[in-house]
Amino acid sequence: MAEREASMPPKVVCKGLEKTFHLGGRAVDAVGPLDLTFEAGRTTALVGPSGCGKSTLLRLVAGLEKPSGGVISIGDETPEAVTKAAGLAFAFQDAALLPWLTVRQNVALALKLARRPADRERVDHLIALVGLRHFAETRPAELSGGMRQRAAIARCLVTQPGLLLLDEPFGAVDELTRTRLNAELPTLWQERGTTTLLVTHSIAEAATLSDRVLVFSPRPARITGDFDGARHNPAARPALIEAIASALGAKSGVEPVS
Amino acid sequence: MTTRTAPFSPNALPTLFAACVLIALWQALASATADMFVFAGPLAVLGAIAEEGSLLLRSSGITLQSAAIGFFIGNVAAILLAGIALALPRLEQLVSGLALVFFCLPFVATGPILRVIFGVGDGPQITLAALATYYTTYLCLLVGLRATPGSWLDLVRSYGRGRLSELIHVRAMASLPYFIAGLQIGAPAAFLGAMVGEFTGAERGLGVLSIRAMRGLDVEMTWAIATTAAALSAAAFWLFGWLGRCLGAGPPPLLLASRQDGPSVGMTARTGSGLIYLILLILAVLGVWIGLIKGLNLSPFFAKGPQDVWAFLVSDPAAATNRAALFTAFWQTLSLTIPGYLVGLALGAGLAVLLVTQPRLASATLPIAIALRSIPIVTTAPLFVLALGRGAVGTITIVAVMIFFPTLAACLEGMRRTPRPVLDLFSTYAASPWQRLAHAQLPAMAPAFFASARMAVPSALLAATTAEWLATGTGMGSLMALTASTSNYNLLWSAIVVLAVTASLIYALVHILEQRVLHTFASEQLVQ
Repeated sequence: MAEREASMPPKVVCKGLEKTFHLGGRAVDAVGPLDLTFEAGRTTALVGPSGCGKSTLLRLVAGLEKPSGGVISIGDETPEAVTKAAGLAFAFQDAALLPWLTVRQNVALALKLARRPADRERVDHLIALVGLRHFAETRPAELSGGMRQRAAIARCLVTQPGLLLLDEPFGAVDELTRTRLNAELPTLWQERGTTTLLVTHSIAEAATLSDRVLVFSPRPARITGDFDGARHNPAARPALIEAIASALGAKSGVEPVS
Repeated sequence: MTTRTAPFSPNALPTLFAACVLIALWQALASATADMFVFAGPLAVLGAIAEEGSLLLRSSGITLQSAAIGFFIGNVAAILLAGIALALPRLEQLVSGLALVFFCLPFVATGPILRVIFGVGDGPQITLAALATYYTTYLCLLVGLRATPGSWLDLVRSYGRGRLSELIHVRAMASLPYFIAGLQIGAPAAFLGAMVGEFTGAERGLGVLSIRAMRGLDVEMTWAIATTAAALSAAAFWLFGWLGRCLGAGPPPLLLASRQDGPSVGMTARTGSGLIYLILLILAVLGVWIGLIKGLNLSPFFAKGPQDVWAFLVSDPAAATNRAALFTAFWQTLSLTIPGYLVGLALGAGLAVLLVTQPRLASATLPIAIALRSIPIVTTAPLFVLALGRGAVGTITIVAVMIFFPTLAACLEGMRRTPRPVLDLFSTYAASPWQRLAHAQLPAMAPAFFASARMAVPSALLAATTAEWLATGTGMGSLMALTASTSNYNLLWSAIVVLAVTASLIYALVHILEQRVLHTFASEQLVQ
């Protein structure tokens, strides 16, 4: 089967983006107003205190929530149009693997949902890439947390999306596993130059994986820090980590994590 | 593989042992009460089964067939109803209300009417089996279709797919464990429905055999039939459990817990919209009622519409006399049903609590409690009445026994689901069994307890009216049987209305109580 052409990584632009939730008659401002541009092919880390609205921002970009105000364009299209064409993939903190499907079926499900032809070769290739070659027939319940995230990443990549939205994908795994996943997995999409938005709680992760780090204020999410990432520049990482921590600590009152 | 598919405790020995103890108790009880002619012990039952084996086998086959057809129809109806509720969330409240009202129809009255409609044959048996089945499956499906983690649905939506894809790829499979649980509860209910249907004048089947044995005071045969019915129901229960495990569906993470401020609680939430809902529901019930009579072109001789019932109870010159006759019987029945209902619930939950303080005992007895839940107690009603007298005690006992086993099984099952880390936490503080019970196990039990308390409302009325019909000759059961034979169909339909409304109201009352209690003591158990 001919390899389907991967979507070109798009530029993501948010203009006057706002999101307000109505909880039992109470209005809660979750996001914005925000004006933001995510350059094509770059990885941006979004850091901020818990519940600051950065996950909501991600869900808005994915079209999972409708903005209360403002617009988002991905390339030249709306989030809804992009999802319909399977131009993006979303990684969830809990991996969101369906427990009744094997790893292979879970990865293949993305192709089904994207209305793409089944491609056993590509599915197996990705499962091997994330290091689960011997677990293709295993169900999620029998996998470790790290292995589940690997499977979820394989599912994200199988449709070759131009835009990846990662909502704390490694948030639920232990520190050692996290370090290993950080070392192995991001190269899979970063080599292809996928536009990536990564929500994370880990300052170190933000500094080492991204081309750019955005620090958010407590709700409603506003930007309080905008740094160049240190993905290609290990020497700059300690200073960057320091800077992010102080941006977080000074603005949110949260103790910086080293 | 064995540990993964083992239904309960991986070690079956304690269960086997507990079963032996129970059978020994059964034998002892039978021997001790031999002069009362109520209980037949396991030996006598085995003897009767061996003697009448081929007759029992043939009758079982007939009843099983009616039950299976009704079971199938009931479950298809449940799937359709749940589909409507899922596709049109605004209608869910109304659909649930209608489903409840029809589930609360008293079999003792619907049975004879169905017999007139269908004539000879197995129509009534199948219909009652379907009516006994569909509601539990519908409830289970509703919980299952909604208990899907949000991220699974987000996954589908992040590829731009809609509700149909959600249903096909996620909700259908995610609700499978709940559906299986519904089938498991429904299978014994269908069997009981088919048997009650056979009571109304079928020619063959286990129900017919049962009536004959009871009238002849053949104690051994009555218990042999009840044992056969229980064994078949339990077999169906295990079969569906096995089927579920084959399909990769473990037990559902939440057992029949109801939703918090969902639309189905409208009456408690806002009295204004609750009133509108109630009016809509009454209109819908009347619509279905009239629609069925007109649609099926039923003879006005026995098919009475709302206007006939209204005339009979309110506008007719003789209405006062009619009401007096009806409500005398009604209070008689209610005064036996409610004590039996409460005693059954209390004993079931109480024994579960006692057992759970001995964890090994609890895990050993759970499979047995589940098996006993399937005993069609109703079919032994006349024997109880015979032993305990035609007074209140006999009927109350039957109602209590009818409710006891499902409650025991549900409560044990609920407490078994107390989260392991919570129990570990209590252990680290060397908490007493009492603290453990009060703070961890009772809250874990509460949703299961209330679910079975709700479902027990129609069963309690069924048990009471059946006992009255077949044995005591008092109350609504007797009145309905009498009116069916004297063709006083106005009274019969009025009785159906009064009983269905009563059952629905008590059900709603238990539901409101459930919301209050769970909200205070176990809010995490409520499905949002």
